[in-house]
Amino acid sequence: MFLSKIFFFLVAFAAAVALTVALVMPRPAQRALVTEEHRRLKVACGVINILLTDDARNRVELAGSFARTSEIIGPLDAASSADKLDDTRMKQVRGIGENVMKTIQGRKPDFAILIDKRGRVVARVRLDENDYGDLLAGRPLVDDALAGYLRDDLWVQNGTMYFVTASPVIKRDPPVEYVGAVVLGHAVTNELSQKLVGSLGVDVGFFLGNDTVAGSKTIALDTKPMEGVIGKLTGGDLARDCQANEPISLTASKEPYTALVARLPGEAAQKKAYYSVFIKKPDEIGAGATLKIVKQSDLAPGNFPWIFVGGTFLIALAGGIGLMFWEADRPLRRLAADAVRLAKGDVERLAEDQHPGKFGSIARSVNIHIDKLGRDAKSAKKDLDQLLGPAPEGSLGTIDLLATALPPSRPGGAATAAAAPPPSEFRFDSGPVAAKAPPPRAPTPPPMRVNTPPPFKSMTPPLGQASTPPPPITVPPPMAPTPAPAMLGAASPPLTLDDDILGAPTLDAEPEVDPYFKQVFDQFVGTKKSCGESTAGLTYEKFAEKLVRNRDELMAKTGCREVRFTVYTKDGKAALKASPVKDEG
Amino acid sequence: MKPLRVSVLAFAVSVFADVAMANTVVGKLELPPAPERPPLAAKGFLDRVDNPLAPVKGVNVTSQMIVVLEMAEGGKVESPAQVNWDLAGESFSRPVIGAAIGAEVVIKNTSKTARNLVAAEDPKLIPAGPINPTGPKSFRSMEPKIYTIGDKDAPHLKGTLVVVGTKYIATVDGAGRFDFGDVPEGAYKLRVFYKSGWIDKPDDAVNVGVKGKTEVSVKVPAGYPLKK
Repeated sequence: MFLSKIFFFLVAFAAAVALTVALVMPRPAQRALVTEEHRRLKVACGVINILLTDDARNRVELAGSFARTSEIIGPLDAASSADKLDDTRMKQVRGIGENVMKTIQGRKPDFAILIDKRGRVVARVRLDENDYGDLLAGRPLVDDALAGYLRDDLWVQNGTMYFVTASPVIKRDPPVEYVGAVVLGHAVTNELSQKLVGSLGVDVGFFLGNDTVAGSKTIALDTKPMEGVIGKLTGGDLARDCQANEPISLTASKEPYTALVARLPGEAAQKKAYYSVFIKKPDEIGAGATLKIVKQSDLAPGNFPWIFVGGTFLIALAGGIGLMFWEADRPLRRLAADAVRLAKGDVERLAEDQHPGKFGSIARSVNIHIDKLGRDAKSAKKDLDQLLGPAPEGSLGTIDLLATALPPSRPGGAATAAAAPPPSEFRFDSGPVAAKAPPPRAPTPPPMRVNTPPPFKSMTPPLGQASTPPPPITVPPPMAPTPAPAMLGAASPPLTLDDDILGAPTLDAEPEVDPYFKQVFDQFVGTKKSCGESTAGLTYEKFAEKLVRNRDELMAKTGCREVRFTVYTKDGKAALKASPVKDEG
Repeated sequence: MKPLRVSVLAFAVSVFADVAMANTVVGKLELPPAPERPPLAAKGFLDRVDNPLAPVKGVNVTSQMIVVLEMAEGGKVESPAQVNWDLAGESFSRPVIGAAIGAEVVIKNTSKTARNLVAAEDPKLIPAGPINPTGPKSFRSMEPKIYTIGDKDAPHLKGTLVVVGTKYIATVDGAGRFDFGDVPEGAYKLRVFYKSGWIDKPDDAVNVGVKGKTEVSVKVPAGYPLKK
């Protein structure tokens, strides 16, 4: 059984490991998924920053081209010389600007502002077209353009975010001089956002504080977490926000999203302008969720190691069954066969050495008990022989005593204990009380007889016996036991000791005959005759006297409740066996 | 009539006397090369790029300068005058302006955008509330101090108000020239303010005569160093 235990321990351990792996495996996968998601967001954020930078470069070039348009230079030069700008000049310049806008290929600016060299707005195109004359000098972008730089910036006007670029307008005819500047603005729109994330597989949104400016997806993201991140960012290179920041979790319409925020540069940064790259969180991967998403193809022979799993299962099953057969079934079967041989009398003991482990222990225990029974039987026989003495020819013969107390009843047998009167009722009282008023001695009622158990030793008929001697005779109990002395009535005369031995005298002075003893006597005589033994000198009185004495001594010695006598043959001679009957409980 | 004649006569005498005593101080700053443009405070996606057609202009230092003439021995501050300062669009008409102690500074918003101006050094200097387009807002400062005035909604909008203990304050033109009119006779010291502080150099002594024009020439150290 040791190997079986080891085997089952290993199988259980392997099952526990497999279960643990099954439950734990999704977690690293989940982490890997989250890590991949974060990496994807960072990459997308970086790509968007690159795209925006490239877009800024294109827009700066566009502003430079716009500013170099010859139609613009003259009017701005003239406006710079004028003390006051008027409506006529504004319309003229605006018309020129509109015409230039129309010539732009591709993504057109949403507005253009034409500025003279003093920083005054000469005309606006497509945005606040009727406003002019105000001073735009002072804004860094305009100041730099008037100083000769091309650059870009982000402006916020009326809740709209604009990518703006500016370029100086230079009169190239000698003397070369700056005559003004041009500012172009491109609104940040949903279309631009969608274009930015076209193939990235993420979404992007542009925000001003908690206001959503534009986005590739019409969704109301919770801006508080993003504002919190932006609020903590100060200084540093804005272009590195995508790498420096960590993705955060937020919700939109109760759906979870992961977002990565990065600050936007320029003037808009003062108003907490930022963009956010976000992606919807994938479902959590647990063991259950993993099973739900398993596809049939996952279990296809090509994708799943059925041979390995099936082989492992069969090996485990065969190992378990083999070990059970080897360590349990086979030894048990051998022990059972050995026990059957013992029961049949083919062997006197179980072969302990042939049974391994616990089965050997069982065999040893059985053998120990057999030995004990043998010792007790010998002791009991010795005592009985001492009591009965050697069986002379024509005498009672050998009387065996079963050493062990037989059960009061056997399955299928008649109950004896309940029917038998308590031994105390049959006690002979030879004391004063008995002398004074001895109750009429009634022959001891035999207990309810049960089938006689087989004697410990095999009772084989003597060789040469023509016919098989009768099996051990079970004396049936009397139909109606002799009433106890107390039941005979107070008028019964007291018994003497002889009366006790020979039975209470009857009214007609004939000796009382115990029906049970008489039956045993008759059977004993019959058996002796059948064995060819002489019955001369064998009288009932002596026989009964012996039985009574033997019964009383055996009861005193063994503490049994009753003694049963069985007639049988032994070595071709009639024998009598006394068996103590103990109480059941 | 007699008292009236006497009064008119006395006023005429005093006026002529003042005119006779007044002087004009003119001068020129010897300016070193303009400092390089400071790096962009808030650049866009790209750094600024020089245009390929013409050299980039340097910093206009003179628009950020004022020159003041103070009595050498702590003379009495003249009665304050009014100083007008226009808020024109996205910037002040002059980025630096000077005012005598106690002078009323009137900021007039000539732009089309309402502004909430606050002095960084003294938030209570300017009365609270927006300055609406075309609307003025006035205040006084009773101590010599430098104030940086701006609008938190327009970080680029900044102006510097320099309050000094003299009414002789002059701006500087592109060539570095400046002038003071009606300067009484006496000993003065001349100081130059640039951008956000006084130029770190010994004060120039100016002795104004009884009559005529006094010319001064002030050399500004290279790099436009400022006093700590």
